[in-house]
Amino acid sequence: MGKHIYLRAYLAGIAVPTVLLLVAMTLYTILRVIYRFPVPIERVIVFPMAIVPNLWGLWNVVYVAFLARHRFPLGLHGDALVFLVSPLGFLFARVLEFPLPHIFFVLAPIAIPVGLAVYYLAWKYLVGFLNAELGIA
Amino acid sequence: MNEEDLKQMGKRLRNALGPLKNAELERDLWPEMVRKLDQTTVHVPWFDWVLLAGLGVALWFFPALLPALLYHI
Repeated sequence: MGKHIYLRAYLAGIAVPTVLLLVAMTLYTILRVIYRFPVPIERVIVFPMAIVPNLWGLWNVVYVAFLARHRFPLGLHGDALVFLVSPLGFLFARVLEFPLPHIFFVLAPIAIPVGLAVYYLAWKYLVGFLNAELGIA
Repeated sequence: MNEEDLKQMGKRLRNALGPLKNAELERDLWPEMVRKLDQTTVHVPWFDWVLLAGLGVALWFFPALLPALLYHI
């Protein structure tokens, strides 16, 4: 089981957002096609579809390479990713001229702790479970 | 290579390797498997339950957070 440890870490990392993306895309498709939701998410869909899963995979590789041996909490490591993903997502939306609704800015002080909680739980339990199953942490 | 050659080769291979030692299991592996399955039960500390509950409450009162959350996952 000692072979390709970083490849397994990468795959364990990308698995969670990839599965969640299916849920998000299903909801979005229903909203967009059936209810004529007037937000052009396809303009920025590449961010959750390609960039986020790859960041999760690479972030898990970083954990396995440097932090797992020190028993650093995986949930906290996942939390740190929020501070990379969140500004990157915002920047991406601005560069691609995605119309961010006003409520996005109003709810930002609540969105950050919520994002931290989601990332903490997802990394601790979902990525942690996959890492354990693949024998890398 | 005909049938006879294959038989001869099989016989030579068996002679070269010798009889297998401890071919049978020394113990029943099922109880160990059950113990392993019991060990994999996830223990969730109370503060994680609190965090999950807080998350549920936040999303209940501010459902507009959900699209932003899905965008970042």
